[in-house]
Amino acid sequence: MAQALVDRHDVELAAQAAAGGRREFGELVRRHGSAVRGLLRRMGAQPSLADDIAQDAFIQAFERCAEFRGEGTFAAWVKRIAARLYIKRAAKEARYVAEVETEETVSAPDPGGLMDLDEALKTLSEPERLCVSLCHGAGMAHPEIATALNLPLGTVKSHVKRGLDKLRARLQPAQTLGRTQHVG
Amino acid sequence: MSADEFDPAIERLFARSPALPDAALFTATVERRLQKGSRVRVFVLGVAGVVGGVVAAREMLTINFSTEGGSVPTAAMGQGLEAVSFNAQAAIQSGLDQVGLGNIAFGSMNGMQMFWIAAGALIAVAAAGVVRLSQEV
Repeated sequence: MAQALVDRHDVELAAQAAAGGRREFGELVRRHGSAVRGLLRRMGAQPSLADDIAQDAFIQAFERCAEFRGEGTFAAWVKRIAARLYIKRAAKEARYVAEVETEETVSAPDPGGLMDLDEALKTLSEPERLCVSLCHGAGMAHPEIATALNLPLGTVKSHVKRGLDKLRARLQPAQTLGRTQHVG
Repeated sequence: MSADEFDPAIERLFARSPALPDAALFTATVERRLQKGSRVRVFVLGVAGVVGGVVAAREMLTINFSTEGGSVPTAAMGQGLEAVSFNAQAAIQSGLDQVGLGNIAFGSMNGMQMFWIAAGALIAVAAAGVVRLSQEV
């Protein structure tokens, strides 16, 4: 039975979760938990806060599972829920988030994570980091990000562009190395 | 996303999930929260069902059984029902008194109105319970 769960597609599991299947939803959490937590950390959340929000996002996803129609991936759908929850929390506790940001920049990088990308993201300003992560990590369109962050569309576009330029400059050697490793 | 913003290498990096050492613990925590939420819902539904059922039963037993103008066997049966009703009502009332619901009164509505309201609530709760149960199985 456990083997059968592992073999099932996300859409199938989500449909069963929508009918109340907690075991099926557990499998989805197992598959995508790290991706959602990773995105929140990349957006600038401290690990413990990221985990709390990721948990809330999955609980919300379970309750709203019937809304997931399989148009995009399940992971992308939960990531968007998590991203919106984080934005809401950040807006509510702006001061707290600012303190967390300061703490995180001095903390040691997570050895289990993608150090290159994560380190590079830390060199971005908070709005740049948020906009780039929402765009490339959560797959949100610029107008969506503008609405979620309550920023003008042009501002979001320039944050994303500046953030990407910085990331490209920072990640260039790593990308080259990565390509070499793939070829070899 | 405009063409100059699309960078396959960056897309690939974002698509890779970091391997977090406590992934199993995270999954277990979410599953525990889901389980807890479900238990609370089942408990609330159960309590609501019991309270609604008791109130409905009490209201049903307060119906006056008319024995006037009936034949002898009907009158006897009516008296019997009335006696049973009185005993059951007293038992339910004492039970309600013990849980602090003895003085529950719903305005100026009569017994039948209250009965149907309580019965409707009970059916709704039972339907919700059946739906929930079907989801569990």
